[in-house]
Amino acid sequence: MSEKAKKDYSKTYLNPYFGGVLLGIILILTFYITGRGLGASGAAKSTVVTTIQSVAPKYAEKSHYVSQFISDDNHPMNNWLVFEVIGVFAGAFLSGILYGRLKPKVEHSPRITSRKRLIVALIGGMLFGFGSQIARGCTSGAALSGMAVMSLGGFITMMGIFGSAYLFSWTFKKLWI
Amino acid sequence: MKEELFISGRDIPNIDPFLHIWHWQIPIYLYLGGLAAGILFFAGIFTIMGKEKDMKTTVKWAPFLVPGALIIGLLMLFLDLKHQLFFWQLYTTIRLQSPMSWGAWVLMFITPLSLIWVATYLKEVFPQWSWKFHFLEKMELLAVKNRKGMAWVMITLAVILGIYTGILLSAFNARPLWNNSILGPLFLVSGLSTGAAVIMWMTKSHYERKMMSRIDLVLIIVELFFITHMIMGMLAGSSVQIAAADLFLGGQFTVSFWVFVIILGLVFPAVLEILELAGYKIPVAIPAILILFGGLVFRFIMVEAGQITRYLY
Repeated sequence: MSEKAKKDYSKTYLNPYFGGVLLGIILILTFYITGRGLGASGAAKSTVVTTIQSVAPKYAEKSHYVSQFISDDNHPMNNWLVFEVIGVFAGAFLSGILYGRLKPKVEHSPRITSRKRLIVALIGGMLFGFGSQIARGCTSGAALSGMAVMSLGGFITMMGIFGSAYLFSWTFKKLWI
Repeated sequence: MKEELFISGRDIPNIDPFLHIWHWQIPIYLYLGGLAAGILFFAGIFTIMGKEKDMKTTVKWAPFLVPGALIIGLLMLFLDLKHQLFFWQLYTTIRLQSPMSWGAWVLMFITPLSLIWVATYLKEVFPQWSWKFHFLEKMELLAVKNRKGMAWVMITLAVILGIYTGILLSAFNARPLWNNSILGPLFLVSGLSTGAAVIMWMTKSHYERKMMSRIDLVLIIVELFFITHMIMGMLAGSSVQIAAADLFLGGQFTVSFWVFVIILGLVFPAVLEILELAGYKIPVAIPAILILFGGLVFRFIMVEAGQITRYLY
């Protein structure tokens, strides 16, 4: 057994500023290799579209929102973001193995229960998913990748996300810290 | 009235320009056949080596899956047949030059053999089990005594079965993607690898898991080498073979092949197994599921892609 596997690294995290630089480099590489930016909500959207299309194909055709992602010559899951997210899972899994964090748990503030955390996270996730579709992208797809190519929309999205986070943090911070 | 008249000598539905005769049942059959061959191969090898005590799952428990896998596989094959009631005619002849004849006969022997193998271990699973009839008890004793001999036959038949799942395709000389001699060994190695993955997943013994994990790692490396070899061989071939290789190198099957077969089905599980051997804790189900899924996707892709490659363009 190697030294690293023995020592407990499960509470050691990467310096967030260094992590930010790494993320930036990943973004440049992504543009270079795929010709597209990063994203996350797009993969969820593709999954939702595919599910609707297979469960209720007629509804999917009629729906203005869903139908725009359906075409005969390309399956909605055949999207770079879907593969990127598969890679994110694989990478996160590797990182979990390497740092001994590979066990199921719910991370939450000691003041709230796991159940509450999960419910609130679900509501938050739904709101964010909805918002990201109105804004045509989430933090990664619109803000990060948008700002990287100096898109005005990217800056507005970033300010929208972080500005509203500041505004609402006073009300909701008890759910987190 | 506007009329168009087409005259062509190539109007052969389901055969030209694209073969369209093998459906989803075939890759599942090839997969289950390879898997069964893999499990039986390891059961035989470790029996001959006298390691029944250290490798209990390999020798005793995993083979319990084999008759089921073979029977479901054969059912799939039967479902795909056009003239189902004539299947027995395969057993009216022996043709050494026909892979289908080889397959039919090898399955005819290996399926009952796997059932006998499992039957000799039935009493270890259910101690209360009784064969009811005296002659069955006697036959069991005879089989238990001759396990090593059975193991030799089983290994031989398993290798033939594993290779056959590949050469069933490669015997199609009109389909450039299939028509290469590496396909037999490649399908054999892939079958052995999926078999090892099942054993690795089932076993509770640390020793056995580590052993199968190591074997699987070697098999994955060999498989990657064979795939490279196959693609390089095609690229060095005639233009129809280059066109066949292009299906994986920018063509229609590029993403599914590289993402699900090479990266998630071979390279990633290999990395996980290396990490596990280095002492990191990894739930064994993850690499096992990835290998099993990769093997299944590989067969689907090979069957699908092979049918659209052709000599005449």
